[in-house]
Amino acid sequence: MGDLLNIFIKSVFIENMVLAYFLGMCSFLAVSKSVKTAIGLGAAVVFVLTLTVPINWFINEKILGPNGLFGMDLTFLRFILFIATIAAFVQLVEMVVEKFSPSLYNALGIFLPLITVNCAILGGALFMVAREYSIGQATTFGFGSGVGFMVAIVVMAAIREKIRYSAVPPALRGLGIAFIITGLMGIAFMSLMGINPGNYMQHH
Amino acid sequence: MHSNNYVTIYTVIMTLIVSVVLAVIVSGLKPIHDDNEAVFKKREIFQAVKDYLGADLDKMSDKEVLALFDKNMQQVVIDANGKPVEGVKAENIDMAKEEKKPIADRQYPVFTFVGEKGTYYLVSIRGNGLWDKIWSTIAFQDDFNTIAGVSFGHAAETPGLGAEITDNPSFPKQFQGKTIQDDGQYVSVAVVKGGIKKPSHQVDAITGATITSNGVTEMLERGLKVYLPYFESLKK
Amino acid sequence: MAEIATQVEQEKEPLFGKKERKLLIDPINDNNPITVQVLGICSALAVTTLVDKAFVMAIAVTFVTAFSNLAVSFLRKGMPKQIRMIVQLVVVAFLVTVVELVLKAANYPIWKELSVYIGLIITNCIVMGRLEAYAMANKPWRSFLDGVGNGLGYGVILIMVAAVREIFGKGSLAGFKIIGNTPEYLIDSTQNAFFSWYMPNNLMVIPASALFVIGIIIWVQRSKNTKLVDVS
Repeated sequence: MGDLLNIFIKSVFIENMVLAYFLGMCSFLAVSKSVKTAIGLGAAVVFVLTLTVPINWFINEKILGPNGLFGMDLTFLRFILFIATIAAFVQLVEMVVEKFSPSLYNALGIFLPLITVNCAILGGALFMVAREYSIGQATTFGFGSGVGFMVAIVVMAAIREKIRYSAVPPALRGLGIAFIITGLMGIAFMSLMGINPGNYMQHH
Repeated sequence: MHSNNYVTIYTVIMTLIVSVVLAVIVSGLKPIHDDNEAVFKKREIFQAVKDYLGADLDKMSDKEVLALFDKNMQQVVIDANGKPVEGVKAENIDMAKEEKKPIADRQYPVFTFVGEKGTYYLVSIRGNGLWDKIWSTIAFQDDFNTIAGVSFGHAAETPGLGAEITDNPSFPKQFQGKTIQDDGQYVSVAVVKGGIKKPSHQVDAITGATITSNGVTEMLERGLKVYLPYFESLKK
Repeated sequence: MAEIATQVEQEKEPLFGKKERKLLIDPINDNNPITVQVLGICSALAVTTLVDKAFVMAIAVTFVTAFSNLAVSFLRKGMPKQIRMIVQLVVVAFLVTVVELVLKAANYPIWKELSVYIGLIITNCIVMGRLEAYAMANKPWRSFLDGVGNGLGYGVILIMVAAVREIFGKGSLAGFKIIGNTPEYLIDSTQNAFFSWYMPNNLMVIPASALFVIGIIIWVQRSKNTKLVDVS
């Protein structure tokens, strides 16, 4: 349990997808103009990451790996299968949500197509492989990374809502200042690495 | 809208083309990938004894590295009790995989480098840094106590702080000449902040990288202990 | 007579006329994928600590944008609409896998350093963005040029950011010592380059600095070209 909690806290605060690795920046910058839409996109990312990371874990371990279904090393197909899985999953979710919950579809629907090409989703799957997580760790990591993305984008949107009233130099308005704010947020989040629970457990 | 049949056939053909082309490329490049990986690994091991190679490691070609490794490097694998294991090559031991096994089942690599100036015993250890894993190769002189050279590696330490264990050559250099035993007692080598008190067992920490430095101390303490029984058996 | 002549010329579609040149040049400045279209920022930041890493990444991305544009432009008419996005992604993922395999054979240490960021080219928004915006509606040759142009536009910013970060963060450029002390400054302070008093600035090494550098590039570009200024 301690191990999973460690991964969760790490993926939300310390190894935040957006602020430590800068993945998912495109949608992060494009959809952070208002808090309401930021929450919508954040929720969709949490949902998709929590489910696609474990699904891709199974694909990597049980189909592509040397001990998998075909008994040979097919890891060169990893990129293709991962992204196809993510795209198919997102499309499926879109269809299901549209059919059964029109209100949820109205809230999340427009973000779903954006999510397939969100680097954070594929990044989650690739980091999961690189770090050799088990299934439980992979799921926790997926969920934590999603929450981390949501925290970052909501905070960013809140700042951008306020900054509209500030005297930013015209040429820096919009995109330019958004980059610089994100950089400052990244530095602020770096100070959270002192809370890394793994190190606490290891050294005490 | 295309018919469902069309979509199915399209998907099948596309999947076939893509997998066949990739399979051909992979089978063509696999030998090169394996060679590259072997060279990379051997360079990493040589890094710990780079002062005793008689040539500049960075300037050596891949062929020269492989040839020198074949000629001057002997390898032994030991088990958790320090007994040599038959039928395994030390260069094929992956410390990351060993770490996941129960302690009693782990195997450890020992390399012996026979150089012009002497014989050195190289061991591999692995531990935790701030963000992710760190690892190291330690070369001992033939008293099995004095460190002849050290090289470090890390997965994701902070550049400019923890990553200095590899980026700043002066950090590994400090370890040369340190000893891990005091009157037959195992003391390891510690990375300390704010001044060295025991010069033969301590080195200076990297400013601002406390957790990585502590990780190195912990890795050395726990990692080197494993090899002591084997070293004892060699001394006899 | 003159009319006929121009018609013939139009039908011939020169291999490298004014339009083609515009396709190549525009994305490098006025329609830059990073600073103007805001695409493909993810991987731009992680690989810009050193110029040689950025250079390899720029080539890889240019290869992928160019050939995925070409392939999708060829396939655009027969592509089933229901699975359009998946087909595009498979094409891109295929090319990225090829890049990864070739890089692993050609330069193993750089492959190892770039690690997951090679894979992330798949979701680099520039690639998908250009497929949707250009290749789905244009002929193969022009799509290919559009891909090359956008890849280069991305590469130029990448290398600019990396150059700034490497000079101020490590005091070197593409591995050659330029300013400040050598990395061995703690052992040997005699091997000085220019401005030996300069201490490499760690701020430039952490990822956040890439955002500052891009922010400043945007600032400079927009003060020169006021058409690009964001009104919102």
